[in-house]
Amino acid sequence: MAKAATSDDSAKRRRRWTALLLAPAGLWFLALLVMPLAVVVVFSLGERAPAGGYAPALSLANYLNLPARWTAFRNTLVLAPIGTLVCLLAAYPLAYFLAVRTSPRYRLLLLILVIVPFWTSFLIRTYAWMFILGGRGLPALFEWIGFGEIRLINTPLSVLIGIVYGYLPLMVFPIFVSLERLDKRLLEAAADLGSTPWRSFRQVTLPLSAPGVITGCMLVFILLMGEYLIPQLLGGGKVFFIGNALVDLFLQSRNWPYGSAVAMSLVILMLATVTLYLRLTRRYGGRDVSLL
Amino acid sequence: MRAYAIAIYLFLYAPIALIVLFSFNSGLSASDFRGFSIAWYGKVAGNRFVLEAVTHSLIVAAASATLATLFGTMAALALQRVTGWLRAVFDGLTYVAIMVPGIVIGIATLIALVTAFDIVNDLLLAIWPADDPGAVPQLALGYGSIIAAHTLFSLALVIVLVRARIAGMDRSLVEAATDLYATPWGTFRQVTLPLILPAVVAGFLLSFTFSFDDFVIAFFVAGSKTTLPIYVFASIRRGVTPEINAIGTVVLLVSLLLLFSAQILLRRGAKPTRAT
Amino acid sequence: MDRKQFIQQLRRYQKGSISRRHFLGVTGLGTATAVLASAMPELVWPRAASAAEIGDRVSLTTWPNYHDPANFEAFTAKTGAAVEVAVFGSNEEMLAKLQAGGTGWDVFVPTNYTISTYKDLDLIQPLDLSKLPNYDAAAYETRFVEAGSIDGVTYAVSKDWGTTGYAVNTAKVTEPMTSWKQFWDLSMDKYTGRTMVHDYQLTTIGNALKYYGYSFNSIDTAELAEAEKLLLAAKPHLFAINSDYQPSMRSGDAWMTVCWTGDAKQMHRDLPEIVYVVAKEGGEIWSDFYAIPKEAPHLEAAYALIDFLLDPAVNAKEVLAHGYPTADSRTTALLPKELAEDPIMYPAAELLAPLEFGAAATLTDPNRAEIMARFKSA
Repeated sequence: MAKAATSDDSAKRRRRWTALLLAPAGLWFLALLVMPLAVVVVFSLGERAPAGGYAPALSLANYLNLPARWTAFRNTLVLAPIGTLVCLLAAYPLAYFLAVRTSPRYRLLLLILVIVPFWTSFLIRTYAWMFILGGRGLPALFEWIGFGEIRLINTPLSVLIGIVYGYLPLMVFPIFVSLERLDKRLLEAAADLGSTPWRSFRQVTLPLSAPGVITGCMLVFILLMGEYLIPQLLGGGKVFFIGNALVDLFLQSRNWPYGSAVAMSLVILMLATVTLYLRLTRRYGGRDVSLL
Repeated sequence: MRAYAIAIYLFLYAPIALIVLFSFNSGLSASDFRGFSIAWYGKVAGNRFVLEAVTHSLIVAAASATLATLFGTMAALALQRVTGWLRAVFDGLTYVAIMVPGIVIGIATLIALVTAFDIVNDLLLAIWPADDPGAVPQLALGYGSIIAAHTLFSLALVIVLVRARIAGMDRSLVEAATDLYATPWGTFRQVTLPLILPAVVAGFLLSFTFSFDDFVIAFFVAGSKTTLPIYVFASIRRGVTPEINAIGTVVLLVSLLLLFSAQILLRRGAKPTRAT
Repeated sequence: MDRKQFIQQLRRYQKGSISRRHFLGVTGLGTATAVLASAMPELVWPRAASAAEIGDRVSLTTWPNYHDPANFEAFTAKTGAAVEVAVFGSNEEMLAKLQAGGTGWDVFVPTNYTISTYKDLDLIQPLDLSKLPNYDAAAYETRFVEAGSIDGVTYAVSKDWGTTGYAVNTAKVTEPMTSWKQFWDLSMDKYTGRTMVHDYQLTTIGNALKYYGYSFNSIDTAELAEAEKLLLAAKPHLFAINSDYQPSMRSGDAWMTVCWTGDAKQMHRDLPEIVYVVAKEGGEIWSDFYAIPKEAPHLEAAYALIDFLLDPAVNAKEVLAHGYPTADSRTTALLPKELAEDPIMYPAAELLAPLEFGAAATLTDPNRAEIMARFKSA
């Protein structure tokens, strides 16, 4: 590299190339990320126009009014981590099974089978759960078996089921990737040295899979924080996430400024939690954990 | 452990089985099986709004995935030799683009575009040399806005994927090529590109899948362009008929078909070199 | 015809100075299309030979369970324009979409209390009644159509009218139900988890106000505060907040719901145990209209669709399907006699008397909007 950069001319040309290569992405970020977010910030300081929409103003009233959406924030902040955790608990054994216990012949096929549901519309799959959890689905089955009357649909539980169903594959994949890299001879060595399976798991497998776990959790968590569809379809308008509150503010009560303030708070909350999360997990993930 | 895996697969596939089953329902409802029929597939094939929605979704997904892959790969290549504030800015923007929830991207794009369109459209009305106000071109939400918003998210995704690949790449190969007096373009084509290609392809596929299945961003910025997820959402509100199940089944079949043909192609191409 | 001429013709067609048929004829595209159509009929959408020049589509934004789909098919067969139906849950939501712009809607179905706001915000256009030969103002009952005209200009023509009461599944709910007080009290007590309310401010807040005997349309802060308290207390006991309640009522998930005339009629037709209650304290009486948004992309098709649906013979089929009474005496004359005595469609006079039409002020009142939003996110 040093050799190529000796002459001024080639350095200049290189810089021009770099600028050219970066320009489209930079423009895109500017026009569709920075500017829209700036507009949201401006709007969040305004006030609701008489018939709804935005009217210019300069006040923090919308931010001071944030506690009025406390339940939506709470639901999101409780159900997003729980959903992530349940996804992790459900996905880890499967990823382990696929990476360690399955013969390579079937591994790929089984892995593909985990991802295939992703290619059926998310909406349609969630709709299927509306039926399964609705009165004629599982509850009818339970009643027939003799469990009595159970209501599933439009409860936090049904939203949680929808979350786990929707995002499980996203969790399985990164964990599988990190477990697959694991050298099985390490486990054999540990066993030869008299380690119990549980101990080998804890001391060898688990630390090695940490990057995958951290990545998977972050992916699922990020998506859950902005979730709208699952609570909408499986929560019956009763289990509100911030995403639902946002849609409501923009598409029902037409309070754009307040909606902008809620949106900004969500973004800030998101950046804060994820940055904190990455800090805390850095020592387990080492350098393997990148943004994704 | 095997039993557990089977249970998970059941959990994953029971709803899909249900979707497929009800697509063959002869009854009107998607929740009350009345008998076997393939009539709904005929309905789907004859429904111009479904076909249009599929076309819109395919165009949006192809366009945004192409743009994102192209621009993202370009940026990732450039970023490997950028340091200082520029790099920090790009890292930050990529980070934020991935972190900002889709719903906020949708809302922010909507209000920014609506505000910008108001200004531009008034300007156009004022300066356009035509008497009939109906003949003045006006900006509106549509293809442009959906593709732009989808590209934003996918772009960040591609940058991350390709950069991760570049980071894991053996720099000595590029240096060797330069030492052997390969032109920069030759080095790129014969050394760099093949090395980063898997990440580029993965980025394209992920972007395409994301865009094709996205509801929440399109919900805000689609204007009058109905994409497939928007059509499905509207159908759920209209009262679901097995038509939706038929659409879901067809989408699933097509993606399976693509997947297996890609698999076969890859296997054929990779056979001689694959050792493990 | 050379390229330049073709472009000229295309421009003229785009400007609307020549018709599509003329354009197709002059350019020879018509012949090409005809050949193509005869060779591969399935590739070309069905279009009747006598098709009016209205384009091949029209979009209609309406409410759930509100039309006879067969009528749309008949419209397409007659005109060649397919009807793209979108369903919304509330006027508030329709207004929000129209305010954001770029909807692509041609026809939509606003309720009486919203039309003056649409006009003030310049979101709808005055109707050219000469394009609606089937509309005969004299045939309509005045109180159901007057909201469509402002200062003598007609912005919307009557679709039908109805009441907002509640539906009860009597197989599960055994008490004789007559009032909003009972509705809310039982929802929070014996039938917890079984009641649905609408997903918009007017009726949900309005019927909570009725619990205390206040006006359905109140925008008084103190009264609204009481209504909010009731709503928040009821929230944990509700099955769902959703304006499309038929699926849940039919499946037996929900046993009571705030309900419009026609939905009650449709459910009662299939499941006689589901009955309709117009509460004795009052509540809402309303009328719905057809209107055309300012930016409707297919204006001619919009008029054609409205006119088609106003045809008394077509409208009668609509009424039979959706179960809402119409204000058009010509249509009513075509309906079976027993419908005139139907207690769901035509509640007793003493029940109708206390009902109120929704007030425009409720639509734009920031307080009602925020109370509804707080209720939902609570």
